[in-house]
Amino acid sequence: MNRFPLFVSLTKRLATSVFVLFLTVSFLFVLVRIAPGDPSQKFLSPKLSPRLVEKVKISFQLDKQIHEQYISFLKNAVTGDLGFSYSFHRPVSDVIFEVLPFTVYFSLSAFILQLVGGLLLAVLASHYNKKFWDHFLSGGSMLLYAVPSFVSGLFFIYIFSVQLKIFPSSGIKTVGALEDNLIFLLLDYAQHLFLPVLVLSLTGLPVYFKYFRENFEENGHKLFVTYLRANGVSEKKILCSHIIPNSLNSIIAYAGVDLGILFSGALITEMIFGLPGMGRLVVNAILGRDYPLIIGCTLTAGALIILTGFLADLIRMKIDKRLVKGLLN
Amino acid sequence: MLATIAFRLPLLGSIALLLISYLRLLVTDYHTASAQFSLSMADYFCSLFLMLSFFVFLFLERKKLTSLKVFSFSHYVMAVILYAFLFAPVIANSNSDFQKDISVTRLLPPFSSVKVLHLIDPVEKPGRLNNFLALKKKIVKNSFDEKIVFLDSLQKRESGFFYYQNGVEHRLQNSSIETLGGKPDISHKFFLLGSDEFGRDIFTRLIYGTRISLLIGLSAVSLALIVGILLGFLAGFSGGLIDVFLSRLTDMFLSFPIIFFIILILAFFGNSFLSVVVVLGFSGWMSLFRIVKGEVLSLKNKDYFITAQQLGLSKTKLLLKEVLPVIIIPVIINMVFQFGNVVLSESALSFLGLGIGNEFPTWGGMLNSGQEYLSQAWWMIFFPGAAIVLLLVTINDFGRKLAEYFNPRLHL
Repeated sequence: MNRFPLFVSLTKRLATSVFVLFLTVSFLFVLVRIAPGDPSQKFLSPKLSPRLVEKVKISFQLDKQIHEQYISFLKNAVTGDLGFSYSFHRPVSDVIFEVLPFTVYFSLSAFILQLVGGLLLAVLASHYNKKFWDHFLSGGSMLLYAVPSFVSGLFFIYIFSVQLKIFPSSGIKTVGALEDNLIFLLLDYAQHLFLPVLVLSLTGLPVYFKYFRENFEENGHKLFVTYLRANGVSEKKILCSHIIPNSLNSIIAYAGVDLGILFSGALITEMIFGLPGMGRLVVNAILGRDYPLIIGCTLTAGALIILTGFLADLIRMKIDKRLVKGLLN
Repeated sequence: MLATIAFRLPLLGSIALLLISYLRLLVTDYHTASAQFSLSMADYFCSLFLMLSFFVFLFLERKKLTSLKVFSFSHYVMAVILYAFLFAPVIANSNSDFQKDISVTRLLPPFSSVKVLHLIDPVEKPGRLNNFLALKKKIVKNSFDEKIVFLDSLQKRESGFFYYQNGVEHRLQNSSIETLGGKPDISHKFFLLGSDEFGRDIFTRLIYGTRISLLIGLSAVSLALIVGILLGFLAGFSGGLIDVFLSRLTDMFLSFPIIFFIILILAFFGNSFLSVVVVLGFSGWMSLFRIVKGEVLSLKNKDYFITAQQLGLSKTKLLLKEVLPVIIIPVIINMVFQFGNVVLSESALSFLGLGIGNEFPTWGGMLNSGQEYLSQAWWMIFFPGAAIVLLLVTINDFGRKLAEYFNPRLHL
């Protein structure tokens, strides 16, 4: 197969997404600057002399027109310099890269948990088709879908941290823990992150369960499955090597978007459990009017979302060659 | 429901009396009457009126109501929530911000009751206006009341009455106690679902919180409906550059975590009831836009639509007469789910402290304040949390049933 047209159309797709991200960032850049309020106010006191006040404003570059600020931002952003955070007094990229690893681990583990959990439960439900367990799981997922993370998070903290005292209620590690013992350290992390990961994955689990269950149901009635059954292929083999692969396509597309959104911060879970993730960083930046940090976070989150969506597309194309044809035509 | 009506029957009676005396005052002395008018009083009048019309409705439609058996659990929950939404003042019968003697009333567990000592009201002069004022004071509850004291115990000594609040002794003027047959008049205030950190009744706040959730949900969904249908029609009908631009915008909105954008707008442009409604409304139009656009695109090639266009119908007429009847069902189903989303977002915003402010009780705000007292007062998070979950389950269930009703082949 000729690879070149495929490459061109994929690049085109990526370019559109990057362009949309560029528009978003530009829109935000203008929006935060025309909004009422002035970030330099936080660092000024009425006692300062007018000349000093002027100097502070110049150091924030707030004396310039918006388009001048925008042009200098673009120039710097191309070279990878996202500016200086007002509240952290450090380069924005440093602040973000400090938070990013934790966010990736955290959201990835919740993502894997909800994907695998959804798949296993859906297999279970379709095994007991239209029997008690099927109805029980469907009803349970409907109920779970309606439980917001701030409710489940608080309930879990109350049950496991306050009453049973099994898991700590906040933070990612015990203060003053033995740093040199690796096993202990890992166990400590696991103990701290168990509840947050559980809460975060519980919000997404019903969605995956529903997707898988519907797709299994739909594919289970197709002719090729009937044919396989008539030929005496075992139910287990039909499910594992025929129904599940055929159901994956739309789920991977959804999962790509979902993972991207998880990467950009699980705000409420981070808030409840006091975790240092992207979501809290963004909200603190917004509340502290830290313009460069807001823009930097948006850029990072947008890039991650585009990346995961693109990866999902690639995986789908690898699995299903029909999509490649559709893309080329 | 009927139990609350029976329970509050005296209250309803006195609201009717208040209405009569207010109307009389309105006729005789317009200026005083308009000065005495307040929204909470109008709220009580509305409740009375709605309740009466509800019974009239029940009486007129009594023959059709025999099919009550087909109602499911979610229907009943919905009925209860609507009931709380409409008749909040009558059900709660107290101000949602009422607080007094915090040392005694704070963080009370559910089903606890506190002794209340009534102090003497200065005797009012008889007269039409004063009668009205006294009646109004009795019915329309304020957030404070100086004529009652919450206490743990009361003691009578030679030097006078002493009462104890959380171990602290206070002296009371003998003359100021209202007496019933020689004994001090002590009744009990019952906290059905406990009280919060300021001694406010959680049941009352929960009931009033229903109003905020539903009001914001309804207004934001209506806004999203208008924006979504208009833009969808525009994009589908005219196509071209507008379509491309709006579709890209929709993609952008759908692929980015919208909650951060909402927080940014609320933090930068201030948060109030109106701004929350506007932001939530404008962040929810995308799915409606897609539905409407898709339907309009498929309609465009149908014969009757082309005929209507050739006849020279204006765009507004085309939208109202030809497009809306076709798309109304998917739009309504989408609106129900959208309503659930808005209620959820509003609670989340209130939980983060970016909701409509502390002026009105909200479920999310109650959870937020309960977070601090998690180890002492589970009831502060349990009841609002349960209310949110119950409301969302009901809305989702209703939407699913609606979709199944209109499209029986669909199994959601």
